[in-house]
Amino acid sequence: MPALNPAYINVQDFNFWYGPKHAIKSVSMAIPECQVTAFIGPSGCGKSTLLRNLNRMNDLVDGVRHSGDITLNGTSLYDPSVEVISLRKRVGMVFQKSNPFAKSIYENVIFSLRVAGQNKKSELDEVVERSLAGAALWDEVKDRLHESAYGLSGGQMQRLCIARAIANRPQILLMDEPCAALDPIATLKIEDLIQDLKKEFTIVIVTHNMHQATRCADRTAFFYLGELVEYDTTGVIFNTPAQDRTEAYIRGLFS
Amino acid sequence: MPPTSPDVPGRFLVSKGILRIDRFMTAAIRLGGLGIIIAVFGIFVFIVSQVLPLFRGAKVEETSAIPFAAGKAPLVFGIDEWAELPFYYEGGSEVTFVDATGAKPPQTLPLTLPGGAQVTAASYISADQLVVVGTADGQVGTFTVSYDAEFGDSGKRSIVPSVTIGEFYPVGTSGGSIRSVGYGDSGDSKVAAAVQESGGKLEVHAVLLRQKRSLMGSGKLTKEGAYDLTPLLTGAPLQLRVPRTGDSVLVTTAEGVVDYIFLGGDAPEKRQEFKPFGEGRKIGSIDLVFGDVSLVLTDDLGEMSIFSLLVPEGGEQRVFVKTKTLPNLAGPASFFARSQRNKLFLTGSGAQVSLRHSTTEQVRWEKTVGFEVKGAVIDAKCASFALLDSDGNLHRYSLDDPHPEAGWKAYFGKVWYEGATKPDYTWQSTSGTDDFEPKLSLRPLIHGTLKGTFWALFFAVPIALLAAVYTAQFLRVEVKRVVKPMMEIMASLPSVVLGFLAALWLAPIIESRVPSVFLTFAGVPLTAAVVGVAWSRLPAQHRARLRPGMEWVAFIPIMLVAAWIFWSLGPVLESWICVVRDASGNPVTDPATGRTVMDFRAWWPQATGTPFEQRNSLVVGIMMGFAVIPVIFTIAEDALSNVPASLTAASAALGASRWQTLRKVVLPIASSGIFSALMIGLGRAVGETMIVVMATGNTPVMDWNLFNGMRTLSANIATELPEAPVHSTLYRTLFLGALVLFALTFLLNTAAELLRHRLREKYKLV
Repeated sequence: MPALNPAYINVQDFNFWYGPKHAIKSVSMAIPECQVTAFIGPSGCGKSTLLRNLNRMNDLVDGVRHSGDITLNGTSLYDPSVEVISLRKRVGMVFQKSNPFAKSIYENVIFSLRVAGQNKKSELDEVVERSLAGAALWDEVKDRLHESAYGLSGGQMQRLCIARAIANRPQILLMDEPCAALDPIATLKIEDLIQDLKKEFTIVIVTHNMHQATRCADRTAFFYLGELVEYDTTGVIFNTPAQDRTEAYIRGLFS
Repeated sequence: MPPTSPDVPGRFLVSKGILRIDRFMTAAIRLGGLGIIIAVFGIFVFIVSQVLPLFRGAKVEETSAIPFAAGKAPLVFGIDEWAELPFYYEGGSEVTFVDATGAKPPQTLPLTLPGGAQVTAASYISADQLVVVGTADGQVGTFTVSYDAEFGDSGKRSIVPSVTIGEFYPVGTSGGSIRSVGYGDSGDSKVAAAVQESGGKLEVHAVLLRQKRSLMGSGKLTKEGAYDLTPLLTGAPLQLRVPRTGDSVLVTTAEGVVDYIFLGGDAPEKRQEFKPFGEGRKIGSIDLVFGDVSLVLTDDLGEMSIFSLLVPEGGEQRVFVKTKTLPNLAGPASFFARSQRNKLFLTGSGAQVSLRHSTTEQVRWEKTVGFEVKGAVIDAKCASFALLDSDGNLHRYSLDDPHPEAGWKAYFGKVWYEGATKPDYTWQSTSGTDDFEPKLSLRPLIHGTLKGTFWALFFAVPIALLAAVYTAQFLRVEVKRVVKPMMEIMASLPSVVLGFLAALWLAPIIESRVPSVFLTFAGVPLTAAVVGVAWSRLPAQHRARLRPGMEWVAFIPIMLVAAWIFWSLGPVLESWICVVRDASGNPVTDPATGRTVMDFRAWWPQATGTPFEQRNSLVVGIMMGFAVIPVIFTIAEDALSNVPASLTAASAALGASRWQTLRKVVLPIASSGIFSALMIGLGRAVGETMIVVMATGNTPVMDWNLFNGMRTLSANIATELPEAPVHSTLYRTLFLGALVLFALTFLLNTAAELLRHRLREKYKLV
């Protein structure tokens, strides 16, 4: 096994603007391979924005611009030769609100394979089982794969979205507050899942839930007003933060 | 309302005003909604009430029976237009008038026949109030029984009859008694014909008279010829009829043959002999319906057929062809009376009386009366008729049949109209003559509506949907903010302006540049596809120069150049293909330039055998398409934009291209909305009026030819309503057209709504 890259995703002096709003201010950070990195911080601190830049989802928004660079395993995401579609195939994403398509569970899972032109039934079946099992959903839905995804509960839908995101085996999985709309039991299941998934994927997770960050993340970054305040191992951030603002935040003194 | 108790603080109470307004608004909204339903339903009920009388039969009621000619043997009888003073004539030197109300005793008017001749045959031509008589000494003549309304001092109307003797002409063998007479008067040419007994044999003679007309009025009647038609006959003559065209004589013979003898040429000529009921069958009766081009024939068993004068396909002369079969009578027709307003006729056998309509082959009314009918007459207004029984009583009936030419067959079936070579669906509601058959088939109009709609949607749907898809899913928001209101302004263009543009500006351009139009329509999308493919093959770094959603900046100039190139190539294509040939198949050369004529307008009819009109479906398709595009665009764009961004984001995050996202995620969810857009566009096209009125030529033809016009139901209502008297058949037929339009849109909308519902169920979000 090759040595894991400690700066698998490398953010270098990255600035980002939504129109006149300076959303990310000179952020530099290195995200290691096959670890879970959590972004925490109060609402509007830029953590989600940074996450959405990692697969260039912000391209879809009007009136945005950036400076600085983000590299993925050494290659700039913003290089003109980068095909954004293939970038998104490498960097999967799970959204805050579960968003399955108006299709069957089966079709939802294999969506990324379908758009890549894969139609071989046996392979697709295998992918569906592997992905759903990976998302800890297989046992619950294996008998109703061809029913509408909208028949699932909220937690199941979110796990289906995770299964969908990992079906095409991306290298990185971005999770934007994946448990924000879930009950505690579903949340626990997904957290367990994250622990499993990090063996295979590099995971970046945005969360509002301190306990979640302590439970799943190897490293944690604290953002405040578009700045990266502190970035270290989760233990350091939650036990002995170097910055007062970090400490104040994790103690719940402001949000 | 919650119970109010003293311990509830005032700030929790709802003020009376708010509750009152709330109740008022609830009632007002309920009233408004109910009002809409009532209004729509009311319109529907009104239209139906206007249409229903069209499908009613005739209403006939016996009003009175009066003693009329008891103990007498009238040769003819007739009635005035008010049906108040019927007369009869026995053949002597007086005409007897009987007051139908019985208030006054019968009165007689003297009639002086030339030479005191004895009348042996007579017939009554009700339209001219003319009695044609034949005498025992071989003369044929006429006298007129006319009625004048006079108003006395009290303002009461009284009818004053008068009898005027006309000219008499000797016919055939002098002194031969006349058995039956016929007389036809077309104004300047008259034919009097008679079956005459001569030496124990029956002969047929005819006299042709012409009246010279000059600026000084009508001149004297001159006898142009007297003909013995007997040698032309197929056998012994039975009955004789002379059409009002005044150029021919129809004779039935004992052998069951009808001889059609034409007198309009230099000498009498037998145009046609035909056995209407086949071998061995006898002819029971022969009569002409109003207009005198259709014959009602019955055989001796009562089988009834109608033969009409027409030029058969491949023929050159008008001959009688069997066009219709009506239900049988109980036996050969023993009496016949025709309406002077339409193609109704009253006939029957014995005690059976049947009112029939020749155009629609319908029996409008039928009854077996309690007496044997000796004769019948319909008044000039077609509001009553009278039957004479064998005891000399006159039975008067009121007749109410305002729409005999209507009915399912007339509106939706093929009808063989007089003069047509075959049964067909025809719309021609009015004409210059009174004896014209209104042709009221709605099929050409329904066809025209569908045709116009088809071509409009053919043009509009691809453009509108692709534009909506591009605007909703690809275009940058800041551009979309400009495009969408622009399209909405386009929707608000009055259709009369579009119709005006179509007729006066677009039609002449298209007429002269058809190949260019086709090349452009084919070429521009092709270019777009080619450029699109080429663009997608470019390496990413080149493509990155244009931000996603701004590709149109590069595309528009390319499309404009392509459009210009293809438009200019049109004449080149025309000069390759459209060689105009003369009758012998050689290319036509222009005498001025010496070059071969290459012209699409002339070439199309030669190549396809279908006409090329300037106001054609292509013009309508483009212009009506233009009117429909914004409707479809706006609604479809809304449907596409309303697909949750979270789903498009999910799709994009999974590595789907914009097109894949559109096709796999957006389109299925938006499908029900897009479907609604199409249906509303369809509804607009079906009901569109001004553009089709102005740009189609309004020709009610039934073909799918792109270069021919059409007439739609809506345009038909617009063009014909000014010509339709209230409650006339045409008026009600236009309402029927409206009802069909209503039904058409109702069916389409209901089907569409069901389908849309299914789509929405299938792709609903949570």
